[in-house]
Amino acid sequence: MSHGETRPARNARALDLVNFFIADVQTGFGPFIAVYLTANKWTQGQIGLALTLGTVVALISQLPAGALVDSASNKRVAAGGAILGVMAAALLLASWPRQLPVSIAQTLHAFSSCVLTPAIAAISLHLVGHAALGERLGRNARFASLGNGLTAAVMGATGSYLSSRSVFILTAALCVPALFALASIGRGEHAREQTTKTPFDWPGLRELFSDRRLLIFGLCVVLFHLSNAAMLPLLGATVTMRAGSVANVIIAACIMVPQGVVALCSPAVGRYAASMGRRPVLLLGWGALPVRGLLLAVLPGAWLPVAAQAVSGVSGAVFGVMLPLLAADITRGTSHFNLCLGALGLAVSLGGGLSTAFGGWIADQAGTPMAFVALAVVGALATLVLWLLMPETNQDSATGDQSRTGSPTRPPPAAGSV
Amino acid sequence: MLDRLFRCCKLLRMAPTQAALAALVLTAASSPPAGDVQQIPPDQARAVLGEMVTDADGKDVGRLVDILVGDQGQPQAAVIDFGGFMGVGNRKIAVDWNALRFTPTDTQHPITLNLTQDQIKAAPEYKDTAKPAPVVVAPAPAPAAAAPASEAPR
Repeated sequence: MSHGETRPARNARALDLVNFFIADVQTGFGPFIAVYLTANKWTQGQIGLALTLGTVVALISQLPAGALVDSASNKRVAAGGAILGVMAAALLLASWPRQLPVSIAQTLHAFSSCVLTPAIAAISLHLVGHAALGERLGRNARFASLGNGLTAAVMGATGSYLSSRSVFILTAALCVPALFALASIGRGEHAREQTTKTPFDWPGLRELFSDRRLLIFGLCVVLFHLSNAAMLPLLGATVTMRAGSVANVIIAACIMVPQGVVALCSPAVGRYAASMGRRPVLLLGWGALPVRGLLLAVLPGAWLPVAAQAVSGVSGAVFGVMLPLLAADITRGTSHFNLCLGALGLAVSLGGGLSTAFGGWIADQAGTPMAFVALAVVGALATLVLWLLMPETNQDSATGDQSRTGSPTRPPPAAGSV
Repeated sequence: MLDRLFRCCKLLRMAPTQAALAALVLTAASSPPAGDVQQIPPDQARAVLGEMVTDADGKDVGRLVDILVGDQGQPQAAVIDFGGFMGVGNRKIAVDWNALRFTPTDTQHPITLNLTQDQIKAAPEYKDTAKPAPVVVAPAPAPAAAAPASEAPR
């Protein structure tokens, strides 16, 4: 049994695996549930309700779940409980696709996910501290997208060649290695000052929610997902229209290409966020949104839009790394990291929920290309808000002089805006 | 409270499908004597909601998710959840009832659609139950079939 030098490395690898398997597990939930319930003779109305239930529970639980993780002295226990919750939800779905068990499973999964995401970020922060968090989050995002991409491929194969139930059995099975990996992570060296003493620290909460940086970034996050979330479903529908019987292969590519790009560039995103400051990296990711929207609007055929999906990998990588990183910046010195993540998670859900309605409405009124243009415009607006209002949040002295001013009046040259 | 909401909405939204299913089963069952219970084996009439629809080559097209029924109780069109990958990019389309062939004895492919996937790929989505349904009809059998025609039934 070696100790000392190898301990952080071992923890880091265990956290890699946790991210990989959790992404695996989460792939089965989401749009696939509708397919599974259809196959189990659910009516479309019932399916809509079950999905809405999951969305509503996720919305309601973001903040309480964040506060709960803040108050947990051991974030690994919180994460473990959440993985067990996801596992139970998957088993319920697989074994008993009736109304009550599915409602329970949806509720359980939504709440567990709201605990799991901040808990993983908190464990990362405990392991490496603020200074090295960017790089660590880059690794997290890399392994999560590897897990996502691989599982989408495997589950796509199992779902169409075996039964759709096997997807949820596989999901539940993948929770086991996730738990083992989690259990092998040791206590982090930066774990102090990260736990709330009382479950409801009102002055702290007031301070957090009146932080201008959080409010502006929250707005940017809502706009990001308002632009982003509807693009893939709309693209899928377009591909189905254009390609017919091979559409499923192309849609699979549209899902996996961005995951590959995220896996490739997330670590670089984390490094640049540490060395160049947060603002240029954020502008790159947000600025990729309008580019992707416009590409999707003009690219003809069924295969070419896959190229536009590569651009979405850039914004995906930036978003995945920068959201927890900014939450850590904003809550530095306080114990409200997870609550802040919950608030930003709420912003994600809000933007995403509005996006599909907005995108679908424009597509109905003016056609899918116009919907992509409209989503691109929202993405450009999000980039503009970020550029004009969002201050630099990096407080480490290693940052370059330009980006440390935090003054919105003198923005650096737009890195990624169109 | 949530449960009540659930049940309430369920009642509202399930009604058409259940009616359609009942209608389908009755059509297939050839008028049972009133009050009696008739046992219909699955190889004579089978449930179709959520069943996979295949094309003439046996390739999956999508799942049958709803049925549009006329005032005489006769099915007019079937709603199929078509295309997509793992729930992304699929879309509900309505196809003419006559384009479907039912083979209850065939457990692998009980429902066959007499249209190719390329014939239905551009069909508009069927989403608003209050508006005329865009039903894809089979090309006329006599002249060599060209492009599929999509039209509202009435």
